Amino acid sequence: MRLIEWAQFIVGTGLLITGLGIFFIQLLGVFKFKYILNRMHAAAMGDTLGIGISLVGLMILTGFNFTTLKMGLIIVFLWLASPVSSHLIARLEVTTNEHLKEFCELPEDTKEEEEQC
Amino acid sequence: MSKPISEEEYRKGMANRLKQWILGEEDPLLGNMEIQQQNEYVPNQKMLRRHKKDRDRVVRDVLDTEHNKHYKRFFRFYKIAAVVSCVALILILLVAVSYLPPVGSADKPVNNEVSAKYIEDGMQETGAVNIVTGMILDYRAFDTFGESNVLFIATCTVLIMLRNDRKKGKHSAEAEEKRDSYYEPKADSILQKITFVLFPIIVIYGIYVILNGHLSPGGGFSGGAIIGAGLILYLNAFGFEKIGRFFTEKTHKWISFAALTFYCLAKSYSFYTGAHHLESGIPLGTPGDIISSGLILPLNICVGLVVACTMYSFYALFRKGGY
Repeated sequence: MRLIEWAQFIVGTGLLITGLGIFFIQLLGVFKFKYILNRMHAAAMGDTLGIGISLVGLMILTGFNFTTLKMGLIIVFLWLASPVSSHLIARLEVTTNEHLKEFCELPEDTKEEEEQC
Repeated sequence: MSKPISEEEYRKGMANRLKQWILGEEDPLLGNMEIQQQNEYVPNQKMLRRHKKDRDRVVRDVLDTEHNKHYKRFFRFYKIAAVVSCVALILILLVAVSYLPPVGSADKPVNNEVSAKYIEDGMQETGAVNIVTGMILDYRAFDTFGESNVLFIATCTVLIMLRNDRKKGKHSAEAEEKRDSYYEPKADSILQKITFVLFPIIVIYGIYVILNGHLSPGGGFSGGAIIGAGLILYLNAFGFEKIGRFFTEKTHKWISFAALTFYCLAKSYSFYTGAHHLESGIPLGTPGDIISSGLILPLNICVGLVVACTMYSFYALFRKGGY
């Protein structure tokens, strides 16, 4: 019984620390990068992977009860909402920026597709 | 009887001159207006020298910061003064903090009979398990009523400022919205699919927070904010036409009016009975049930409705100037 508690503690804390490390990388990326798509990529990584790992760590630490279910629902909600908002930011940037070719490589025929939609 | 006139006389006549003026053949001002020829521009050497001298002085004394002794001295003094004043302020604050009573001591001025009364008799008198809700919607309900009215008045003010009444033309609300959101992604299928899943969950969660206000943390303000955020998400995904099927300006007006009126009447009744030491006749129920604690649950619902409508209408007004 003691062993299981220790394993629970070690795995949970390990996951929590990994998640915090990913948050640190995210912050570094958001402040270090200059271009919006790079920064958005860094922020989206923290919002999905970082928060997912942290919450899984917390779920393991609390054990199996009603709070675990709530945290699982929070993960589902964030994984639905955060990528969609990143997608919208990226799409707005692609449609509004005229000098997109200076920042990233584009296939030749993308421009026409965008004008259609 | 008309008299024939000669061609020369006709040319001098009014009719001919008007015709020529309309056609642009004759300039009526030519020869009639006094036009003075302009002098050639000669630079005034004295003034130029004076301006240059002034400019050099400004550059020397103000803009050239590297060789300015006063400037350097001032900035050395500035750094020292900043450090000294910060340290002094920190010291003063620390001394003030050291005179405060320790955390949790019984003879703190915060621990008086008011909070003791709330904690001891709150559940029995209001029927709410959550003491905070019992306070804001029972003991201090008049204050919360004022807050809801402030929200409503703020919406009205924004409505007066940003409302766009023009139905047609270049400056109409529709045209302006089209111009503003020209580049915005419209009818994004990813966003629509996700909203299809998330919108009911968000609204149900908001309703849960409002209805559980007297049992757990939450209440009208937070639940209303959640529902308002859900409505904004729906608006972003599907546009004004779809949301107009169930939420228009008229809905907003009626919901706000009905909620505030009910709040006012209900609270007036309970204040009246309370001031005259009468039985209010509203059952408190068993604490812990959903339907309990008398007036708190309906008042929470009213506050939640007003807050949700206010959140949504602020967004709609700032985006389009209407609903």
